[in-house]
Amino acid sequence: MIARRSIVGLGTIMVLVGCWYVLTSATGLVSPGRFPSPQDAWESAWQVTVTGYANGRLHEHILHSLKLIALGFLVAAGTGVPLGLLMGWSRRADAIISPIFLLIRPIPPLAWIPLAILWLGLGDAAKIMVIWFAAFVPSVINSYTGVRTIECYVVEAASMLGTPRWRFVLEVLVPAASPMIFTGLRLSLQASWTTLVAAELVGALYGLGRILNVAQQDIYPGMILVGMICVAILGWATTRLLAHAESLALPWLRTAEA
Amino acid sequence: MDAIRFDGVHKAFRRAGIDFVALEKVDLAIAPQEFVAIVGPSGCGKTTCLRMAAGFEFPTSGEVTVDGRIVTAPGPDRAVVFQQFALFPWKTVFENIELGLRNKGVPKAERGDRVAEAIALMNLQGYETAFPHQLSGGMQQRVAIARAYVLDPDVLLMDEPFGALDAQTRVVMQEELVRLARRNPRTVLFITHSVEEAVYLADRVAVMTRRPGRIKEVINVKPVRVAEHWDDHARIEDVMDLESFVHLRTRIWKSLRDEKGSQDR
Ligand SMILES: Nc1ncnc2c1ncn2[C@@H]1O[C@H](COP(=O)(O)OP(=O)(O)OP(=O)(O)O)[C@@H](O)[C@H]1O
Ligand SMILES: [Mg+2]
Repeated sequence: MIARRSIVGLGTIMVLVGCWYVLTSATGLVSPGRFPSPQDAWESAWQVTVTGYANGRLHEHILHSLKLIALGFLVAAGTGVPLGLLMGWSRRADAIISPIFLLIRPIPPLAWIPLAILWLGLGDAAKIMVIWFAAFVPSVINSYTGVRTIECYVVEAASMLGTPRWRFVLEVLVPAASPMIFTGLRLSLQASWTTLVAAELVGALYGLGRILNVAQQDIYPGMILVGMICVAILGWATTRLLAHAESLALPWLRTAEA
Repeated sequence: MDAIRFDGVHKAFRRAGIDFVALEKVDLAIAPQEFVAIVGPSGCGKTTCLRMAAGFEFPTSGEVTVDGRIVTAPGPDRAVVFQQFALFPWKTVFENIELGLRNKGVPKAERGDRVAEAIALMNLQGYETAFPHQLSGGMQQRVAIARAYVLDPDVLLMDEPFGALDAQTRVVMQEELVRLARRNPRTVLFITHSVEEAVYLADRVAVMTRRPGRIKEVINVKPVRVAEHWDDHARIEDVMDLESFVHLRTRIWKSLRDEKGSQDR
């Protein structure tokens, strides 16, 4: 069944690539100055991989972007999830923290970019900060909801069994909230990619956003397309990685599907 | 000293700004190692009584005491079997049953033995590593019972623990519980809808009125059971055939039926 699906999917992609070829190289309906032909894209990919483009070769850009994603995402998840759990569990923490949240939340994460660059310059720190701001919110909100929707019977059962506080947090609260925590992490990861590319577009020395930015200035559609495809592939790969981590972390849900 | 006492317990829930009286002056005293069953119409406040003894809920007025102390919090001295099982979905059967022992600081080797014993008692062998959702409702309920039993608590609070079991398993569990209760008596507060189950298991059966709940009457089963040697019969159906059993069951049933009837009017 799965094999059949992937064959169909592969077919769709091949048809799309075929159309692309027909519209650009074969008929010239779309001018190469607006959208690259498969040939252009291939040459751009070759160039950035082998000789390099915008200060570096492709793997350097990719590694740089991945490093920022990893750091920003981890910082956001590492602060957002505990904060959300705390706010979900303690009415007092909720009362103290939510007003700050309500003030900051309406500001679109990308609007922080100028301030971040002003404070921290064009280096990595500014980007990590912006990713943090963007990816933090979904982690907090979903962890919060995860705690709030825990069935009270489960909490009562734990207290009836005399579960001490930290064991309760680690073995009851977190696992009970974990499906929602992972929903938050998925959204955080998406937000991380969106913000990273935007931040690199505004100003960066390396990274996939930097490739896109330079290619735009050079009016180089082939390279723009290569940059976009790289972002798409990496976004997909990191999402898969997270999904894999989720299925490892939540074995009781995995067996529910099997 | 009584193991569990309800003294003039009154319980009102606030719902949409209105006080909703669930229990009105409940008085009941349970002696140490006594097995008391509560029967009563649905919604009369049976679960509420049990939750107050467990420490999840507190009386609006009156007192609930366990071992002479007013109940202020839940604890492993009063193991609860919940009407909704309340298992931990992310823990295996073994881990669910083991948690209470870990919390008590029981060493690992002893934990393994005691959990295995509880699993054998509840006929759950082979399911140690299964997650709750992989079990049938009846099996989940047995895990919930094992989780309470393994603590070997002084007080057992059971809220319709056999409600989700099929007829055969239920009978086996009832006979098992009788054997356990007679051999190794504990203070038990047992809620059920089945009059037969109540008469078969309990030393005394408390009948509650419909809402707002009170204890209507308490029927002393134990003297009859002892005098008529019910426990010499291994099988529940043989006990249920005895004239003395039928007599008590009918008496309680009539008392209960008056309450159910009055609900319809
Ligand atoms: N937390 C609560 N908030 C408001 N009302 C409640 C709450 N808990 C129970 N009640 C009400 O109190 C009454 C008694 O409930 P309880 O669960 O004790 O009944 P019960 O005798 O156990 O019923 P059943 O046999 O159906 O389990 C019910 O009418 C119920 O609606
Ligand atoms: Mg109930």
